[in-house]
Order: sequence, then C-alpha cells, then structure tokens
Amino acid sequence: MGMWSRRRFLNVLMVVGTSLIPRSLWAQAGSFLTLDEAPHAVFPEGTSVEQRHVPSTPQLREAIMGDLGSTKPSLWEPDYVLFTVHRDGNLLGYAVVVEEIGKHRPITFVVGVRPDGVVQDVALMVYREPYGGEVRAPRFLAQYRGKNLTASLLPFRDIRNITGATLSAEAIGRGVRKALALLRTLSLTGGKPS
Amino acid sequence: MRIGRINTLTFAGLLGLTLTVAEAGNASSSNAPTTAVAQSSATTGTASDTMRQELDQLKRQMQAIQDRIQELEKPPAEKPAAEPARPATGPGGTTPRPEQPPAVPTAPSPAYGNILPGVRLGGYGSFRFEGSSLKDVNDTFTYRRLVLSVDANIAERLRSGIEIELERFTQLELARTTSPSNGGLGVEQGIGGSDDSELSVEQAWLEYELEPWLRFQGGMVLVPMGRFNLHHDDNLWDLPRRSLIDTGIPVLPIKAAWSEVGMGFVGDIPAGPGTLSYHLYAMNGATLDTELETIFQTRTDDRNVIEMEAKLQPVRGTANIDLKNGKAFAGRVAYNLVPDYELGLSGYYGRYTPQFLSSQLLWAFGVDGKATFGALEVQAEYIYTHFSNISKVANSLAQVAFTQAAAIPATASPDLEVELRFELAQLATVKNGYWLNLRYPVSPDWLRNSILGRRFANPQLIPVVRWEQAWLNGLLSNLSFENGVVTELERQNRFVDRITVGLAYRPVPLVVFQLAYEYTWTNHGKSLADVTNFLPAQPGENTASAVLVGVAFGF
Repeated sequence: MGMWSRRRFLNVLMVVGTSLIPRSLWAQAGSFLTLDEAPHAVFPEGTSVEQRHVPSTPQLREAIMGDLGSTKPSLWEPDYVLFTVHRDGNLLGYAVVVEEIGKHRPITFVVGVRPDGVVQDVALMVYREPYGGEVRAPRFLAQYRGKNLTASLLPFRDIRNITGATLSAEAIGRGVRKALALLRTLSLTGGKPS
Repeated sequence: MRIGRINTLTFAGLLGLTLTVAEAGNASSSNAPTTAVAQSSATTGTASDTMRQELDQLKRQMQAIQDRIQELEKPPAEKPAAEPARPATGPGGTTPRPEQPPAVPTAPSPAYGNILPGVRLGGYGSFRFEGSSLKDVNDTFTYRRLVLSVDANIAERLRSGIEIELERFTQLELARTTSPSNGGLGVEQGIGGSDDSELSVEQAWLEYELEPWLRFQGGMVLVPMGRFNLHHDDNLWDLPRRSLIDTGIPVLPIKAAWSEVGMGFVGDIPAGPGTLSYHLYAMNGATLDTELETIFQTRTDDRNVIEMEAKLQPVRGTANIDLKNGKAFAGRVAYNLVPDYELGLSGYYGRYTPQFLSSQLLWAFGVDGKATFGALEVQAEYIYTHFSNISKVANSLAQVAFTQAAAIPATASPDLEVELRFELAQLATVKNGYWLNLRYPVSPDWLRNSILGRRFANPQLIPVVRWEQAWLNGLLSNLSFENGVVTELERQNRFVDRITVGLAYRPVPLVVFQLAYEYTWTNHGKSLADVTNFLPAQPGENTASAVLVGVAFGF
C-alpha cells in the first residue's frame, strides 16, 4: 500500500470513525439541557408546557423546610422555574428546576413530579464539578422514579451509591425532596404538608 | 443576610459603573492620539454617543438595583405571596387543584446554564496513630499528608486542576552566611527540614474539551494505572493506610500518587446501558534516577564513617528534559454501569533506563473493578509490572560507573572511613499483586440519634476488610561490580501478604474516622524491611501487626 493510499485509508477511517460516534455524549462538567428542554426530558410525552416562576419567599422557604424534616437543602434559588406539563389537555405533572451543591459547585437539575406527588423522572441540566458526573447516568437517576416524600433519597438507605460521587448523589436526593416539598407546599401535588 | 445582599448589589453596581466609565475613558483616550484632526470631531462625537448610551444603560441598571434593594427591604409580609390559589380547571375534568397564581416572570437564576462559577480551593488531609509490634517502630502519631487542590473552570470548554501535596512535611529551613573568617572568606550553608517528607506537585493540568468524548489533557497528569492511583485521596478510603501494591511495596511502577508530565486525551462515551471512559497519555514516564544518600556515623569499634550512596531506582519522570530518548504511553479503559459495576483495564509501556544505560523496557497492566451487591461494595485491583533485562541494566551500570565503590584506605585515614557507592534498588523482573476491599456501609436510626450522628443527615458506620497479596520475582537484592564488570548479582523471590479489618465512621462523606487492625507477613526468616518502604523491621522480623487509628478529611 503506497503512501497516498495509506493516507487516504486513514482519512476514510477517521471520517467513518468520527461519524459513528454520537454527538450527545458524556462529560463530567457540562450543560446537558436547556431550560426549554428540561420539562420534555422528564415528561417526554407532554404536548404542551406552561412555564412560570415561583418567587422563593421566606414563607415559602420556611414551609418547605418544615415539610422536609431532617433534609436540609440549599434553598438559595431566588425563584423556582416551574413547568406544568399537559398531554392533550390532561395534566401529566410538574417539572421543577432546582439546584443543590455537590462538593463545591451547584448541580442544576429538573425533577418531574406527577400530580400524586410521586417522582416521574429526574434529569441533569448542568453539572459543574470535575468529578462525580456519573450521577447523570440514567441508571442512577432511575432510582428516584416512583419515590415520594416518605423516602429519604439518601445513599446507603434507599439509593444505591456511586463510589466517589457520594456528595453528588446526596445532593440529587436533597434537590428531589426539595422539589417534592415545593409542589406539596404549593398544594399542586397530592398529600398534605406535614 | 439582607444587608449583606444589599451591600453586594450596591457594590456590584458601583463596580460596574466604575469599570464602564473607565472603559469609556480608555476607549476615548486611546483613540485620541491616533486620530487625525479632521476626524477628531467625528470620533469625539462617536465616543460621546457611546458614552451616552453606556450611561443610559448604567442608569437603567442602577434603577433595577434600586428597585431590587427596595424589594428586599420590604417586610416579609409585603413580598409576593406563596400561598396557592385554585386554577380555573383541573386536569381531565377532575376536581380543580389549588394552584398559585402565575407570578410575575423574573429572570432565571444566573446559575442556570452557567458552568463557570470560577475557581474552587479544596483538598484533603489525613493523620493517624499507630501502635506496631515491630521492635524499631515506636507508637507514633503520623501526619500523613495535606493536599491542597484547585480546580478552575477557565472558560466554557477549558478547565484546570492543580494538586500540591505536603507529605509528612512540616518545615524546610535554609540558612546561609558568607563572611570573612580566619583570614579568608567563609561560606556556611545549612538545610533542615522534617524527616521522610515530601513537597510535591501532584497534578497540574489543563483540559480542553474538543468534544465531550474527546478532551485534551496536558501537564502533570495522574498515570491511569489502576483505580487507586486515579482515586487516591485519603478521605475516599476507609482504612488509614494505603494499599501495598500501590504504595507500600509498590507493585505499581512508581508508588501512588503517580503522576507524570505528558499530554493525551480523556473522554466518556455512552455504550449500551453504561459508559465507556478512557484515559490515554504520552509522557516522559518512569525512569531510573539517582537518590543520593549521605550517612554520617560514629562507631566505637571501627573507624567513623562518611558514606555517600547513589541509589538508582525507579522514580517518576523528570519535569525537565527527559533523561531518556523515548516516551512512555499509558492508558485505561473502563466500562461503568452506574451505580453497580465498573471494570477497568489499564496499561503502561515505556523505556525505564536513562540514556547512559542500555535501553530496556518497563511495561505493566492492571485490571480493576468495583461491584455493589445490596449494601456490600467490593473493589479490587490487580497490577502486573515487568522490568526487562535487569541483569543487562546492572552490566550497563557497571560499565558506565566502572567502580561501584571507592573508599579511603585505613592507612591514609585511620579515624575516618569515607566511601562512595552506587546501588540499584527496587528492581524486580516481575512485580504483581492485588487488593480486595469489602465495605458494608450502614446508616442505622440509632446512629443518627446518637452523640456521634446527631445533626448529620446521613452518618454511616462502615465495617471494612482488605486482603492483599504481592509477589516480587527476581527481586534484585545484591549487586557488586568492579572494574566495569559485575561480580555478584543476587536475586530472590519474595511475597508479602496483609489482612486488615477495620471500622470507619463517616458523619459526612468527606470525613472519615478510622479504626483498623492489620497483620503483615513475608517469607519466613526474611525481613519485611527488604520488601516494604514503610516497615523498618529488623533482620528476620517477617511479621508485623499494628493497630491504627486515623482521621481523613476533605474540603
């Protein structure tokens, strides 16, 4: 095989190889979902989405904290981006964008909650830490599906931990509980604030 | 809190005003000298327009800040109510649910979508108390290490990580004086510091994300051999001593944390239900380099001695011009089925001899993994390292050094023996070994209500067991050469086993209190000191037991 043909072969190999690799791939830190994409990530079957912002007032924060018991989320959001998701006029549920500190930096994610106060799905929007990005894996996030506020959502209790990403796993659990408590405080989902 | 926030906003506004005015000033002043007179009025007019627009913008920003301050100063009762209201219709004709009225839309939190919250300082530290059965080891507190780390998101796709390690390091003192004395000029220099200590740049790299699956990394990077070297932070582990094959023997070509100057690519690629992640680097690589030991010893039954020993042993590659004309390559591929399983394969290939010795290869491979079975977490690592042609290296050293040792004879110096000596150390044809770590974290209710766990969200008790074995085949134990010829080359096969049982307590994931008992043994009649770098056993002392109480913390 002459020089030119070998180069051509390598070029073809590189083009084919590159084209085979999907574009939306993993990374530790990165932005994975925009605000517009967030509700569809947790309610892909939704046909209409209504977005609004719920200001985080002291009363709201106090009510959320009261509902969460020993869980102490950050509650630093100035307001919560809340999506109401419908399918053909029927309410599918709510998607709440929340943030929680991993080790040093906030993790932004969206929590989908059905009207009965049960987690539909969780999806990461932005991950900023250099390590621990495995919490973005669907296999890990699937553990939150079907959970409600009675669950602690803590590693080694009702969530399988990721070795080396315990802080991020705890942060996801705190954020999910915060979203559940927010919706219950706003009386959007089932159950009464305790 | 509110006052602090107001101050922050006011400060931000003033800072913005200052910077903008300064920029406007700079812009007009930098234009002035280079603008022709005929154009000056037009330029001035343009600059004035720009300034006017910026001032208008600033006024609007200041007004927004004032509005925000007024809003924050309002009593809580006057803030927008969070009480829910009922919507006009419920879902699917069901009973209408109470719902909050749509609030006035505000801008989303600045953090949304932003991955650049700047530079973060972190690190970890660890210390322990040790009581040992070895005759020459006193019960002791050891300050294991303090590592300071910085990670910075420089720009959207540019990151940097830095780790500075202070291992058993407490101080380094340098004293020097130059002054006339005894009719001449005298120079005195003294260096003092903590014993067996190290100050080291463990990591200093830049990452450039070309694609999420293709991220360039360059600088001082961790060599991706085995899972321990990549995850070596003391506070990640439940036992207060690192594993044998990664540190205490070590089987890894260079003990952890092993980093090298180089560059390469890392990435994560979804594959089926899991993720395939890889590290691939070219680097200077491990090499035989000299450690110079100076020994002063007074003796009652022999001449006092000054001995200088130059030990050639494998160390991490230089950060200066490479000592050898050949780069090393290392890589690791891992399949991660989060959160339950991970399997990693790693390899290393490169020349380990400096240019003045014959060219010989060092290669190594590793298999590591983790698996979760309920609450039981299992991690393991196996490393195999091969140093090729150690006897040729010895011959080559003999030819280059010609004379292994030189001493001043007793007739010339009856009271003081002065000796210079070359040694080859820590070389074995094959080193291999593994560790198996089992941990079982539990978080019982009584712990959360106890004095230990009170006010912690998820404190854990973790029983842990680690079983380790290492084999050193063809371990170079004695080398003599004279007049450029090797006269004696002794090698032996050795093993070291260790079992450690412990109990760890983690109030939070970053902090661990550790209690452990370990038992280590090697070949009968041999000393543990010959094969480990942390057990100063006497000749024939082939077993050691120790009780360890440690603390490790991250931040």
